[in-house]
Amino acid sequence: MVPWLLIGPSLALALVVIVYPFLEILELSLHDVSPFGLVRGFVGLANYARMLEDPVFLGAALRTLEWTALVVGGTVILSLPVAMVLGEDFHGRGLARTIVLLPWSMSLAMAAIVWLWSFNGDYGMVNAVLKEAGLIARPVQWMARGDTAFPVEVGVGILVSVPFTVTIFLGGLASIPGEIYEAARIDGAGRFAQFRWMTLPLLRPFVTIAVVLNMIYVFNSFPIIWVMTQGGPDNSTQILVTYLYMLAFQIGRPGVAAAVSVAMLAIVFAITLVYLRLEEREAA
Amino acid sequence: MTRRRAVGRSVLCWLVLAPLIAIVLFPFAVMLSTALKPTPEVLEFPPRWIPRHIDWGSFAAMWQAADFGSAIVNSLAISVGATLLALLVSIPAAYAVSRLAFAAKGLYRRFLLVTQMLSPILLVLGLFRMAAAVPFGDGTLVNTRIVVVVIYAAFNIAFAVWMLSAYFVAIPRDLEEAAWIDGCTRPRAVLSVFLPMAVPAVAVTAMVTFVNGWNEFTVALTMLRSPDKQTITLSVVNLVAGRYSVEWNQVMAATLAATVPVAVLFAWAQRYLVQGLTLGGVK
Repeated sequence: MVPWLLIGPSLALALVVIVYPFLEILELSLHDVSPFGLVRGFVGLANYARMLEDPVFLGAALRTLEWTALVVGGTVILSLPVAMVLGEDFHGRGLARTIVLLPWSMSLAMAAIVWLWSFNGDYGMVNAVLKEAGLIARPVQWMARGDTAFPVEVGVGILVSVPFTVTIFLGGLASIPGEIYEAARIDGAGRFAQFRWMTLPLLRPFVTIAVVLNMIYVFNSFPIIWVMTQGGPDNSTQILVTYLYMLAFQIGRPGVAAAVSVAMLAIVFAITLVYLRLEEREAA
Repeated sequence: MTRRRAVGRSVLCWLVLAPLIAIVLFPFAVMLSTALKPTPEVLEFPPRWIPRHIDWGSFAAMWQAADFGSAIVNSLAISVGATLLALLVSIPAAYAVSRLAFAAKGLYRRFLLVTQMLSPILLVLGLFRMAAAVPFGDGTLVNTRIVVVVIYAAFNIAFAVWMLSAYFVAIPRDLEEAAWIDGCTRPRAVLSVFLPMAVPAVAVTAMVTFVNGWNEFTVALTMLRSPDKQTITLSVVNLVAGRYSVEWNQVMAATLAATVPVAVLFAWAQRYLVQGLTLGGVK
């Protein structure tokens, strides 16, 4: 009885705010909904069919895959060496850690604004720096085309995901006892052999956690693309969350928006199940 | 640490980190540089890092344009409210998870994990309809700060319970048990012995919940329609979104003013956070 009283309030709050909207979306996705949100007749899977027929949906789905793979992959590859260096003992390590974790404190929307201005084609600092370095001859209009805007957004996505990922890896490195390196050195193992055969295998569970959690965060990440390009120009940077928001709140197609939500929720649940399975295997 | 801090090794470490550090500091340099430029200098190519004339006027101008004062009040009220509500429901739950054995514990933790995986954006349509369905004052919960507080609190429960229970496990049981023997009731023992020891854990959790609220965008964008209700993040985005001409020196002054206090708080609390995540083992 006592445990239920203690967990009850949190359970109630989570149920109301998370489960109720979920059921609401499920219902919307199966009904004809007016642009102003009036629920009309039951239409079965018609909203899902309309979603699948929309070429913008297919483009956004593929781009979401690309977005998630590039940001998560880039983040993990970048964070691993950074965490290893920050795990070393060197002068000014505290300062270096603080700087590397700094983007964590900034709102994604604000980071997106600052980078949008930095990549401004006419007056932006990025063009100025690249021109100074001789890497470009003329200023580049980064945000005017999807094939330059999207990589910029991926870069911003990686940068803001690094602090969290580095923190996970630092926790992992701290859990490896120093004595085993001592032993390895005595046995004549070089730095690379130590990394390849000791650090990497021992960090594996933490890499798994970082990959899964980042996959979910990045898959759901809305502010960066919404603030920088709103999915444009001409849907060329549209991912599923921006497409969903546009359908729901800009072009008045809540039924289809609900179908997109349900499809995305199904994907997130699938990733969560894989995560739980992996976690069980790690625990065993 | 028994290893020697050799100078050569320190230089090498900084060299390896240098590119990332440059990129991390780049936006802060851009913010400061643009915020201090008078308007004609902002629209020059190539732009200069150091303004020819330092002009602090952008800060005053953006304070007006973004209604920064009331945006700060809104952000504070919403973030503090969400933090208090999240702690109020999460502290007892974390106590139960870390101290008591009960049949539904595994299930409860799984439920929390699932809620942690959901981001408000996936439920945004349902959240909006939920708010629109509840009558409040003259209208509904749409365009109220209360609904934003409740949503932020709910989405922070999973993290708060997990972080708090990771710390709570490390608080020795013996002290509470000693208090029982001295004739303390269990709730009294929790209040007078356990909670004082849990203050650091609560502080770290509160800080993260607060910063999450301060920085959140999607729910605020969807719920807060009138300018007088908007949070800082939202009013700064509105200085840029859908504007034909953007006063970038004002925008950068606003992002700087909104970011620096949080960055300082974060820099100070960062080691506790890292410690907590390590304690929790992240699993």
